[in-house]
Order: sequence, then structure tokens, then C-alpha cells
Amino acid sequence: MGMLIQSHYYQASRFASSSNAWSGQILEQFRNSTDYLSLKKMNHLLAEENALLKNRAQESVGQIAPLKKGQYEYISAKIIKNSYNKRNNYLTINKGSVHGIENGMGVCVNDGVIGIIRDVTQHYATIMSVLNKNTVISTRFAKSNYFGELHWDGKSHQFAQLHSIEKYVDVSIGDSLITNSFSSIFPEGISLGTVNRFQIDETENFYTIEVDLSVDFSNIDYVYVIKDMLKEERLELESKENE
Amino acid sequence: MNKGFQHIARFIILVAIQVLVLNNVQISGYLNPYVYILFIMLLPPKLPKALVLILAFVMGFTIDIFSDSYGIHTAASVLLAYIRPSILSLVSVKGGEDLEDISIKQLNFGRFFTYSGILCLIHHFTLFYLEAFRLNEFLDTFTRALFSTAISLLLILMIESLRSNPQKR
Repeated sequence: MGMLIQSHYYQASRFASSSNAWSGQILEQFRNSTDYLSLKKMNHLLAEENALLKNRAQESVGQIAPLKKGQYEYISAKIIKNSYNKRNNYLTINKGSVHGIENGMGVCVNDGVIGIIRDVTQHYATIMSVLNKNTVISTRFAKSNYFGELHWDGKSHQFAQLHSIEKYVDVSIGDSLITNSFSSIFPEGISLGTVNRFQIDETENFYTIEVDLSVDFSNIDYVYVIKDMLKEERLELESKENE
Repeated sequence: MNKGFQHIARFIILVAIQVLVLNNVQISGYLNPYVYILFIMLLPPKLPKALVLILAFVMGFTIDIFSDSYGIHTAASVLLAYIRPSILSLVSVKGGEDLEDISIKQLNFGRFFTYSGILCLIHHFTLFYLEAFRLNEFLDTFTRALFSTAISLLLILMIESLRSNPQKR
């Protein structure tokens, strides 16, 4: 039901969101003026990420080149408005349609998924955070192919809930959860979190799993917007299936 | 004219406090204080009711734009403006017609507390229930709204006593 509601009101709401030109500018100016406070931390994060990428680049030397070379393009953007303590959270970034950002693209940071792009104007865009009742993310176990849907119950910004995992699946605490490739929003394998707690009711067929999110939503500065270059091709093919 | 300017300045200051400071301050990840409603509470009682409703709409809409909340602040603010006259008649004999403007000095603390408390409670409950819009989260939303009301009310009373005190000293 969430999906139904989600799909039709974003067009009309475009003006009344923080991505419109003047509110975007005010938020960006304010963010810029407080930026220097977090420079040290930012440097540290970038150095860590750099090291990780260097290691990865070494590993991939000598491996067979991926078939779909360069399927995903990453666009970096700065968060100018963060929010994580409301029932429905939206973030605002300082890149928009001129930078190639479109509605429905995935957004992540180095250690995990942030959300999905919702409203886009020329120079700004808003992200519907994982911490939002309308966000549903298709999730699978890293160790097996079982998949479910990740929702957020609005209680804590550290935990989300995984539904539709059937009770015969082997689940244990600490299992890592990643995105799967069922939608063209996220590439496969971006981290979402780990299993923190799970239970199963006698009467039900599904687990209730609490997921410890890998991203600290109270502390995000820069994000990557993911552009799937083959999205149209895929959608075209999939629309034929439905006929 | 001077009064009008005062209200415009109050509008800008309260929006700035709300959007740039309070929306970024996170209290235990559970509470969202909203002090911008003080602007609507402090509008002169003699102002035409239609104008109060329009000003409440503008205020709510501005907050909605900055916090990506798609109309819930507008709805809650206009409701607040709509019930304001009945709460005013609750705390003053002539429904506020004898009051030049609304402040702790004009009303005394107890009556101002009742006035802002009731309005704050109604505004916050409308806001949080519109935001959640799910009955199975009834209790969670209830605690959230209740505690946020307490924090907002505390901030509103602090701002209001700071505002009306300097002249006394």
C-alpha cells in the first residue's frame, strides 16, 4: 500500500519541499557556515575510504573484467539538511537535475544505504531516507539468497525491521544484510546492516527481525547518488514481461 | 505600523530558530520541539479572524517547505488559529477583546500557561497523528506528541518570559 501512495504525490509536492531554489539556498548557506566544525572528521573519513578503495583496486587487478563495465555511475553530493528524529525523514542535497540527478535514484555512503531520491530541482534534491514509513528496500542475506523487505517502525534511528523472511530460513544474530539486484535503484551488495535481534511467533510463518543499521544517520556529511546506466534497457525489457 | 513590524520580525526570528536550530537539535531521537506556533499565539486578539487564519497558513507553509513535511504543519497551524478565539475566551472575561496584545504581562503567568498549554497540546497532537497516519502506532505517537508538547511549552514559556521581562527591570 505504501508503494501506491508513494507513486503519485511527488509531482505536486515539488514546490513545497526544501529542494526549491530559495529554501535550498538558505539551508546551503547555513550549512556552509558551520562546515568548518567538522573538517577534521571529514578528513579522517576520506582517508579511511581512500585506503579501502586502494585495497580494492589491488585485489581486482588480474581478475576478469566485469561484463557490464561501468553500469553504475556515482555522483557525490553534500547533505545540506539532515533529519532523523521524525516519523518521516527527508534529507536535502546540493546537487540537482543539472548534475544528472533524477527521481528514484538510490543514495548511499561508504558504509551503507541512505535512501532514495524523491524531489529534484535544478540545483537541489531531496532524499526519502530509510527512516521513513514510505520507504521499502529489498534486502537479502549476504550468506544466502533469501530476501525480504526492510521497513522502519519510527522508533530508533539505529534500528529498522526486516519482514517477509519465512520461518524455515536459518537466521542468526550478526548476519549481514545487503541490497539485492531486484530493482535498478541499488546495485547488489551495498550494506544495510546486521541482524540485531529476531523472533518468531508460533502462529505466524515469518520472522520479525530487528536490523542494526550500518549507517549512523545522525552523522552524515557527504553521500553518493547512484545512477544506473542500464535502467531504461531493463525497464523496457521488464515491461514486456507484463504484457 | 510599529506593531506590524514587530510581528514580521517575530515571524522571521521564529522561523529561523525553528528551521536552522531546533530542526537540527535532536533530543533523544524522539522529541521534536516546535516553537514557531508562538507567532500565532501572540497575534493581537483584535486582528480579524480571517487574517489570523491566513497568517497561520503562511507560517505553517513556510515551516513545511523547510522541513519537507508536505502540509502537516500548515494543517496543524490553521487548526490552532481556528480554535484560538475559544481558548482566549476561556482565559479572559471578554474573549480577549479587552487585551491590547497577548503576553505574560497582560494575562499573568497562570492564564498564559493555560492558553499556550492547550493550544500547544492540540497543535502537537494534530501534527504527530497526521505525520504517523497509522492507528497501529497509536501509543508511540501519543508518547511522542506528549513529550514534545512538554518541551515545546517549556521553550515557549522561556522565550515569552525573556521577551516580556526586560521592560520590568
